[in-house]
Amino acid sequence: MDIFLAIFTYFSYAFIITAYSIKALRYLRMPTHLRWELYPVMHEENHQYGGSYFEQVDWWIKNRRKHFIKSILLFLNEYAFFGSYFRLQKSYWVVLYICHIGFILLIAFQIFCLLGAIAAVFGVEVSSKSQDITGKALYYFALLSGVICFLSGTIGSIGLFIKRLTDKNLKAYTSPEVYFGYVFNLVLSLVGLYVWYYVDPTFSQYRGFWKGLITLNPENVEPIMALFIIILALHLIYLPFTRAFHYISRIFAFFLILWDDEPNLRGSNLEKKLQALLNQNISWSAPHIKTGKTWIEQIERPKSGS
Amino acid sequence: MKIEDISKKSEQLVTIKPEDLMPLPYPYDTPDANPAFKELTQDQKNRYEASLDGFLAIGIPKPETKEQEEELVKTFLAGLGKLLTKENNWTFLQPLYHSLEYCVKCQICNDSCPAYVASGRQEIYRPTYRPEILRRIINKYIKKKNVLYLKLSGSDVELNWTLISRLAELAYRCTLCRRCAQVCPLGVDNGLISHEIRKIFSQEMGIAPKELHESGTVQQLKVGSSTGIAPKALNNIVSFMEDDIEEKTGKKIRIPIDKKGADILLLHNAGEFISWPENTEAFAVIFEAAGISWTMSSEIVGYDAVNYGVWYDDVQLARIAIRHAEIAKELGVKKINVGECGHAHKAMMVIADRVLTGDLNIPRESAIPLLADLVINNKIKLDPSKNNFPVTLHDPCNMVRLMGIVEPQRQILRKICPQFREMEPHGVDNYCCGGGSGFAIMQSMNFPDWRSAISGRVKLKQVLDAFQDAISPEIPKYVCSPCSNCKGQIRDLFAYYNVFERCNIFYGGLVELIVNAMVETEKPFIEWEWH
Repeated sequence: MDIFLAIFTYFSYAFIITAYSIKALRYLRMPTHLRWELYPVMHEENHQYGGSYFEQVDWWIKNRRKHFIKSILLFLNEYAFFGSYFRLQKSYWVVLYICHIGFILLIAFQIFCLLGAIAAVFGVEVSSKSQDITGKALYYFALLSGVICFLSGTIGSIGLFIKRLTDKNLKAYTSPEVYFGYVFNLVLSLVGLYVWYYVDPTFSQYRGFWKGLITLNPENVEPIMALFIIILALHLIYLPFTRAFHYISRIFAFFLILWDDEPNLRGSNLEKKLQALLNQNISWSAPHIKTGKTWIEQIERPKSGS
Repeated sequence: MKIEDISKKSEQLVTIKPEDLMPLPYPYDTPDANPAFKELTQDQKNRYEASLDGFLAIGIPKPETKEQEEELVKTFLAGLGKLLTKENNWTFLQPLYHSLEYCVKCQICNDSCPAYVASGRQEIYRPTYRPEILRRIINKYIKKKNVLYLKLSGSDVELNWTLISRLAELAYRCTLCRRCAQVCPLGVDNGLISHEIRKIFSQEMGIAPKELHESGTVQQLKVGSSTGIAPKALNNIVSFMEDDIEEKTGKKIRIPIDKKGADILLLHNAGEFISWPENTEAFAVIFEAAGISWTMSSEIVGYDAVNYGVWYDDVQLARIAIRHAEIAKELGVKKINVGECGHAHKAMMVIADRVLTGDLNIPRESAIPLLADLVINNKIKLDPSKNNFPVTLHDPCNMVRLMGIVEPQRQILRKICPQFREMEPHGVDNYCCGGGSGFAIMQSMNFPDWRSAISGRVKLKQVLDAFQDAISPEIPKYVCSPCSNCKGQIRDLFAYYNVFERCNIFYGGLVELIVNAMVETEKPFIEWEWH
């Protein structure tokens, strides 16, 4: 059983990392598209009111400063507070925020347990009584993130389930798989709460399991802990089949699409890429299109006399 | 109404009644303030696919046989397949992929859509409705997912000609203003999906509103302008405008045409020449006063900045953009300057930026910052007291939310209009005039009623709210709209509700206000005559 749990956990992490990498690569390998930005573009000098470099006469000879830090801060702010939902849909925000805090803290909980296990491998005591500040910090971080993630996961999943079911605007567009996702998250959170309250109040057993994973020497865990580990691993395998990649894809969407205001300057790499794309054949077949010809050939006017 | 009802045959999927619409402020806050919708005739219903909402934007002829219907379904699916390939749709594949894959249907975008809100929140106009239909079709008929997946993911939909013909019309119930995308925390763009659906119909099936395609881009490429103005007629129009300038201002100004080596090629929406020649004239007066080296072109396509391809067809978009750039290259100008036309701004400076390569990549800029430079730096003499009447500013979506040109027009108005006031919301949060994405020029059957009563309704509310302190018809008021298509929509919107007669609210461009304030013009340049 111990070996099975270890292998299954290894597999689940390998699976989600591989699946998400494939998704990310698929996204990033798509061809350069036509510009389709939307203002405010956060790296612009005048992003406060949504201004762009087009507000200047002869903009192409002016120095264009990009404030990437501002863009990144905006993103972190949105991840931390879900400000758009707070502004526009407060009742939805409450349950959505609680649920997502649970998800973010679940990741943090895993990281703190892993770090705690690494510390333990190096002989650091990870507990409330540890003399080592790192060991003490990792103990409390794991404890707090674990308890809060299970509590908020429970409340948030129930809240989102009820909200989606009772709000007519949401209900019509909510599929069975979405409800299934909430139930799955609820089961994971409830089992996590049970494990913490009745079996492993300091998460020392779970840290021990992580230590076993690192040292390739799986440690024995109680049956209910084993159940938690299996549900968590199943959850990791399940996530790539949902829309949860939006945590990452939204970064691509903003930086590669909505805030992509990079002009096509003569002789640039972008121009070379575009020339290659324009040389592709297209197979659209409406009467006004020259089917089978390249984009360039679509555009060219017939030579005079021909 | 259920989402999947779109495939079910019925005379009409939804019926919109004037009493369902969003209320308007004074003096349109009475039940009788909404004109009755013009009904389609029985003959129109018999000839065209009109089973969506009782309005017709495209007017697709009804197939005569079952076989024809099936063929159209097949063609649609072939087009949808092509839309998802790199070769055929590199232009928008990544944005499309993102919006198809990562919408969580939280509906946060709903209330940002003026058509949805103004219609009394009709399900079919919900910003997530069209994308949901498209997603379901893709899952079932392109990705061919199994029955269990379709049930679990709520992807079941029956693809038939009823659905397709309704979807075609539905793609023309979104103005592509992209307010929905602006509020989406995940970067999903439901406006883009309307754009992409339009492309399937145009690029694969040859179906598009006549005003956009046949008398739009096709006519522009062939004759010279989507207005039908040929180069010969342009010369007569220019002569007329020169005479008109002299009559209004006392100045003898020659509008330069095909002047090789000029600094600027000025491109106007040719609709101005017919409907608002004073706009083109005002540009000439200002450029002359500022001593700018400029020219217009008389080449086919070169005197019409419009590029309707931006709304429905990437190939037509590219053809027109290239032609504009070729003409500028032949004239040897230093840059292209786009006049007061929002979509031409976006088409030429933003969208086509990645189509123009090599020596066709000629610098392109908006006329608005140049005008701001002239006004703010006192390069022309102005007397703001000549514009001492309430003025508000309409922000064209293409120029503002989609390009970030926000402040220069405000700098001008703050300087020359003492009673300037903003609409709320404004700037990048503005509302579409209701005529975006080609609607302003689409006059077929009863579609103008839809765009006045529904897509333009929030704009009318904004205008009335901005002028509530001076709403009496005794006080003349001016909506400054620095976009030709927006002006067309505002003209029709105001006429639909008799706004000029009831409230004395006039509309026009930005340059007209500048010339109206010029010290050296004796008579008022703005004539306050409804046309």
